[in-house]
Amino acid sequence: MIIRFVLNGEETQIDCAPDRRVIDLLREDFGLTGIKEGCGSGECGTCTILVDGENRLSCLMLAVQLEGKSITTIEGLAGENRQHPLQEAFIRCGAVQCGYCSPGMILAARALLTENPEPTREQIREALSGNLCRCTGYQKIVDAVEAAARAMQKQKEKAG
Amino acid sequence: MKSFIPEIGCSIPRADGEAKVSGEEKYATDHYGDGLLWAGVRRAGIPHGRIRGLDAGQAKNLPGVIAILTGRDVPGTNRQGIVHKDQPVLCTDKIRHCGDPVALVLAEDRTVLAQALALITVDIEPLPGIFSIDDALRPDAPLVHEEHSGSNVLLAATVDKGNAEEAFSECDVILEETFTVPSVAHAFLETENGIAWQEPDGKIVLVVSTQAPFRDRFEISHALGIPMDRLRIIGPYLGGGFGGKDGATVQCLLVLAAIHAGGRRVKMWWSREESMAAGFKRHAVRMEYRLGAGSDGTLHALKCRLYYDTGAYAHLGGEVMALGMEHASGPYRIPHTLIEGWCVYTNNPVAGAMRGFGVAQVSFAFEGMMDRLAEKLRMDPLDLRMKNALQRGDKNGAGVTMTHSTGIVSCLEAVGSHPLWKGKEQWMAEAPPFKKRGVGVAAVFNAMGYGRGLPDSAIAKVELTAEGKIRVYCGVSDMGQGNATAFFQIAGGVLGQENDAIELVQPDTARTLPSGSASAGRTTYTYGNALIQAAEELRRRIIGRAALMILADTVDELELLPGRVKHLKSGREIPLNILASVMPPEDRICISQFIMPVARDGLETGKAFFIGFPHLLFSYAAHLAAVEMDELTGTLEVKAYLAATDAGRVLNPQSYEQQVHGAIAQGIGYALCEEIKLEEGRILTPDLATFIIPGAMDIPDMMSISVETCETSGPYGMKGAGEVGINGPLPAIAGALAQACGIRVKTAPLTAERILEAMVEQQTACERKPS
Amino acid sequence: MNRVLLPKNLPELWSFLENEPEARVYAGGTDLLVQMRARCADNLVLICLERIAELTGIREDEDGFWIGACTTFRHLLNHPRIREQIPVLAKALSTLGSPPIRNMATIGGNICTASPAGDTLPPLYVLDADLILSTQSGERVVPLSGFITAPGKTQLERGEVLTQIRIKKPEGYRVQHFEKVGQRKALACAIASMAALVKTSPAGVIESARIAWGSVGPTVVVSPDAEAALTGKTLSPAVLEAAADLAGKAMAPIDDIRATAVYRRRVAANLLLRIGT
Ligand SMILES: Cc1cc2nc3c(=O)[nH]c(=O)nc-3n(C[C@H](O)[C@H](O)[C@H](O)COP(=O)(O)OP(=O)(O)OC[C@H]3O[C@@H](n4cnc5c(N)ncnc54)[C@H](O)[C@@H]3O)c2cc1C
Ligand code: FES
Ligand code: FES
Repeated sequence: MIIRFVLNGEETQIDCAPDRRVIDLLREDFGLTGIKEGCGSGECGTCTILVDGENRLSCLMLAVQLEGKSITTIEGLAGENRQHPLQEAFIRCGAVQCGYCSPGMILAARALLTENPEPTREQIREALSGNLCRCTGYQKIVDAVEAAARAMQKQKEKAG
Repeated sequence: MKSFIPEIGCSIPRADGEAKVSGEEKYATDHYGDGLLWAGVRRAGIPHGRIRGLDAGQAKNLPGVIAILTGRDVPGTNRQGIVHKDQPVLCTDKIRHCGDPVALVLAEDRTVLAQALALITVDIEPLPGIFSIDDALRPDAPLVHEEHSGSNVLLAATVDKGNAEEAFSECDVILEETFTVPSVAHAFLETENGIAWQEPDGKIVLVVSTQAPFRDRFEISHALGIPMDRLRIIGPYLGGGFGGKDGATVQCLLVLAAIHAGGRRVKMWWSREESMAAGFKRHAVRMEYRLGAGSDGTLHALKCRLYYDTGAYAHLGGEVMALGMEHASGPYRIPHTLIEGWCVYTNNPVAGAMRGFGVAQVSFAFEGMMDRLAEKLRMDPLDLRMKNALQRGDKNGAGVTMTHSTGIVSCLEAVGSHPLWKGKEQWMAEAPPFKKRGVGVAAVFNAMGYGRGLPDSAIAKVELTAEGKIRVYCGVSDMGQGNATAFFQIAGGVLGQENDAIELVQPDTARTLPSGSASAGRTTYTYGNALIQAAEELRRRIIGRAALMILADTVDELELLPGRVKHLKSGREIPLNILASVMPPEDRICISQFIMPVARDGLETGKAFFIGFPHLLFSYAAHLAAVEMDELTGTLEVKAYLAATDAGRVLNPQSYEQQVHGAIAQGIGYALCEEIKLEEGRILTPDLATFIIPGAMDIPDMMSISVETCETSGPYGMKGAGEVGINGPLPAIAGALAQACGIRVKTAPLTAERILEAMVEQQTACERKPS
Repeated sequence: MNRVLLPKNLPELWSFLENEPEARVYAGGTDLLVQMRARCADNLVLICLERIAELTGIREDEDGFWIGACTTFRHLLNHPRIREQIPVLAKALSTLGSPPIRNMATIGGNICTASPAGDTLPPLYVLDADLILSTQSGERVVPLSGFITAPGKTQLERGEVLTQIRIKKPEGYRVQHFEKVGQRKALACAIASMAALVKTSPAGVIESARIAWGSVGPTVVVSPDAEAALTGKTLSPAVLEAAADLAGKAMAPIDDIRATAVYRRRVAANLLLRIGT
């Protein structure tokens, strides 16, 4: 069936099986391999995408559910810019090790900062609690989200 | 980002960071291709049995099925294994664990693949199984490997020193305890996977998530009978490894599939459940300890018996046990030791390497004994450790003289003077209602390198490219631990070039040179040493060739600067691209090998190990864990954590802290919740909903102190930092729990259920005591 | 291949259901799609309820709330009136799954899955929630307490859909408590959970107590004996312990991969002691 949606800011349509998992569709048909699969059952968060700004798990969504939605993947997060402040902060603060969780973590953090631009460390941990990381022990990820929040606040102040 | 020269000692950001946060980095999982086929494995699902028949008729007829292969289609020895070749690529006859592969299917897509796998029926005659260490050791036990020396003991060994049996009579106190730790999974987020294809010239290319691409080539060649020069293995960055990708997972299966794919690409990607069933695990171990000391706390004699459940195949079982035995007496001076070990085959999943290789297990036991001894002698647990801690010149428990950096005393001093330790009484007193608090300490160590028996070698290759840039050919994988970044720094530092001018090539048997596995805290040490030599040679060459062009009569007047060589007297400069254009390709490449030093003591013990014993170099750490236990539920929460680590000089403080944090977090998981539960060889915790690893709210902010010794044999004085940290949390947390409420749990993990159970027992015991 | 339909409103849903009487409905899919993955289901018809406006949203009236069955947990948690008026539910929701699960999963899905460990169930029990079950031809109201008949089994009939959940405000219940014991802080399936509503007089005497436990029986466990033992007493450790003992008797937990029955019973009863703090 034909499914129409907005993918990383661009109107898109694709003809595909309605029960295709969104993760497979985006990775295989659109080549968006920044979306990872760590479990396929909702437990790890590596397959996170933003659906109308909310972090959701693309391993538990079927293609039809994309209809009319606006989807952001890690590849589209920076938009016109070279890097989103979260991406910059993840590198600078050492939040990336193997990096397999990073795209999902960054998108989950993006969803948090949209809703709560000045989160506490506890709130950050809670917001990232659906994204497992086996490498970092999370601390530097929390540092990075804090740093990005500050950077984004500054940007906003500058912009007036 | 501004350009910079990546120098040693600085927190330069990861070389691979940018590609990873943008989603561009291509892990093995991210390779697809036109005309892609999918391969999958039908697994036995039965722990022990004999294959009577296999019917793939229906599956074969399914449209979209390309091939179904069995053991009979395996061209070579059909045997894989790092030390003992006892593991079939596809089982032909005997089944030894539930995850054993019996058929390989190639299909047009994943749906057809799943359907075909479900349609294959295997007729297996069940055999009585071996599911525990005691089962395995029974004299009449059925054999997991009939061809193996008439018993289920893969390896039995002794490590001893002095005369432990006699020495116990000289001790004022003797304590005994038995500890057990379960099997656990690495739970890397990128499960085992790869993609393979046959080139028109017949060569086979395999892109795979692996810690040991060069060993993989050897394994595949042996198992499938393919000459090594027909195989090319490419090992991109891994989405985690931790030891679980050190050994053949998908490798042989995928190459076999590629042979039958008519040049099309074949992808195999284990689901989480398949990874749990068929992937390697950490060994479950039972540890029986007897420790004797003087009344002043001086350790005198240790006897222990260690039993490692290695599962269905040898893999690295013997070597894991060897390292455990070598560390069984802790980072302490004990004159008399007798350490016996048995590594046994069972019909459980295959155990192998995992961060803290055999050592994470025994750390629970030896530190548990130290806590019990401190309690018995009413000594401060930190003082007791300090008193017995190894110093340079001492012999360790295996009898090796500590001739290199030995920083455990400094680590203990660092945690002892920290407010977390000094202020612990007050913190404990302030526990809220229904909570009890405690602070525990652990002293741990971890050897580096392969140990005696095989050279721990790396061969570095570095090139001045035709464009005048530097290319480092890394022969050893980066599974996330950041060694590639260290190589970036070494090349940048020695050659004085900027980050944009340095390119890293990840392992590729066609381009890089054999440098061993990413394991054993050796990766940066061994390859780094080799790279320093190679880079220094390249620097000499660049300057030497520039001297010819500039007509300088001495190289002393030339300096290598970013992108150019400068003649300091005249100010003349030669850009590196010009210089490179006049150097022939072979002149632009420098290659150098480094082999790690080994222990020189002529030990008369550990003779059963033909590789992997003993070791010379160790990293050390002292950890503090502050925990809060809930009396109503038994739930344990780690509130604060401190690690003081001696891993020699720190090449990159950020990467170093990443290793410390990551190891602690995994250690906390090992302490609190991780456990592969089995019932008759079947995994009851098949996914991440049941095999519980810590999330962002379960790990506290951690403090890391670096006790920098200088390991003179290491690159710029460094030692491996990746493993030692995982050994501390379990004993430190167990100690903290005992501080909090007097309960000493001897079975890991310290689940809420175990703790509450122990509290109820403690209460009933109290009530029973006549007052 | 499975067919998947995405109705935009109730009339569309009813017509789809009429044409495809065997269709399975799903809302967030966080239970159904996980189950289907394990079973490799094929040739099914699925109907996704997420776009049906009539089934999402929260409406407050004089004495309670109407909650659309397909309202996500995130939506509920972000609703200030729910947080303020029925914290016992909000607390349970905040421990359920993880943020992305809460962004997708729905309250109706949690009820219809009928898992003994469903985290909304104990609070909805103590709140005496009613369910509106609808078909094309009409609707019926059933109390939640009778709706779940066994693990995974409900009174839902073929073609029937849960459309609304009705919760009355628990007036005067000063103590609203929820606690879950899991294997970690988030992404934790309940080993045991407890929801409690306690109404006390100005003098501190318990006038009414409503308590329900999750994961200690085939479905939610209540203990009229324990509730009776609390009524008329002041909240003290001794009173709570006595009630906890009685509660333990009402439980029929099982051993499973997460915990033994012994632990479940013990810890579930212990949770009651926390209301005293
Ligand atoms: C990683 C993970 C963690 C989880 N953690 C928790 C947890 O901590 N606590 C907990 O309680 N649950 C947990 N769950 C389970 C699940 O998220 C919840 O039960 C959730 O509420 C289900 O809602 P859903 O909308 O996703 O259900 P769906 O999967 O859409 O549906 C579930 C079932 O209900 C039926 N159904 C759904 N809506 C209706 C309706 N309106 N009318 C009739 N039938 C309907 C479906 O047919 C299906 O059988 C977890 C799940 C995952 C994947
Ligand atoms: S892959 Fe989707 S949550 Fe793990
Ligand atoms: S960085 Fe490896 S899983 Fe997070």
